[in-house]
Amino acid sequence: MSTAMNFGSKSFKPRPPDKGSFPLDHFGECKAFKENFMKCLRENSFDNSKCRLQSKDYLECRMDHQLMAREPLEKLGFKDLTDPSQADGDVKP
Amino acid sequence: MLLPLLHHSVRCTQVFLTRCIRCDAQRTLHSQAEHFLQRRLPLRSHTQSRGTKSRSRKKSQEEEWKTRNKTVLTYIAAAGVGMIGLSYAAVPLYRLYCQASGLGGTAVAGHDAEQVETMKPVKERIIKVTFNADRHASMQWNFKPQQTEIYVVPGETALAFYKAKNPTDKPIIGISTYNVVPFDAGQYFNKIQCFCFEEQRLNPHEEVDMPVFFYIDPEFDEDPRMARVDTITLSYTFFEAKEGQKLPLPGYSYN
Repeated sequence: MSTAMNFGSKSFKPRPPDKGSFPLDHFGECKAFKENFMKCLRENSFDNSKCRLQSKDYLECRMDHQLMAREPLEKLGFKDLTDPSQADGDVKP
Repeated sequence: MLLPLLHHSVRCTQVFLTRCIRCDAQRTLHSQAEHFLQRRLPLRSHTQSRGTKSRSRKKSQEEEWKTRNKTVLTYIAAAGVGMIGLSYAAVPLYRLYCQASGLGGTAVAGHDAEQVETMKPVKERIIKVTFNADRHASMQWNFKPQQTEIYVVPGETALAFYKAKNPTDKPIIGISTYNVVPFDAGQYFNKIQCFCFEEQRLNPHEEVDMPVFFYIDPEFDEDPRMARVDTITLSYTFFEAKEGQKLPLPGYSYN
């Protein structure tokens, strides 16, 4: 955190998150999804673009277990992942 | 016949005495009238001709100086008032300028949550996000990131995990804040959801995963100052929170 008030020096101003804070997953309900995601990351040399499906699954798990406010996936930036699955006939809540 | 003439001459004398010093009471009416008329004009020019030309010049010069001083004083007073007004106006103007230029890491105006839906990932620009975890000296949690780095592109949402463990025998409440380096890039780093700025309670010997869901604004790619930025470091620091302590949330005034 920046405390020096020098004129002209760049300081960092933290901003609160858009949708607030994640409640803690005390019971590890979504731990399996997390492990899945981490495995995917390790296999793909930590490239996020390749593991978006797993991150989507993790967030859905959180929503299912009341650990996250339910939101349509488009609002979370997963628009490109929801369209082909809808074409398959899967109904996403 | 002499009587009216005398009467007239007396009257004329009275008039003359009131109007001029030198007069001749023995003149005839016509000549007196003529004299009277003639006397008038030379009398005036007489008073003006001797020494008053310079007096009038001085007078007009003084007047000129006076008006000039007045205008100068008016200008100075206007400038003074203008300076005071400018110093008052500088506060909101500077704030606007900071928002427009993003100086000092202030939030760029126009950042809104709806953007997440419509933004397109900029696939050509790969940015490495490294993670750092810190804790305050008196904080007894074990806090570390679960991945050292992740490669993202602007406009794409990304997920990252931290892990926190409470090794002690009593519950500890922690609260965290974050930092983004380089500071200029911090304005483009948007967190959708994370675990900061709220109290998180960990029971004894409990271990949890703490996710951070974020994205980098696609405008990052268009900013010329960010052209050479390839690595962004996200650093979280945990502090111990005492019961009932209320910490002020950042970003309340102008974000």
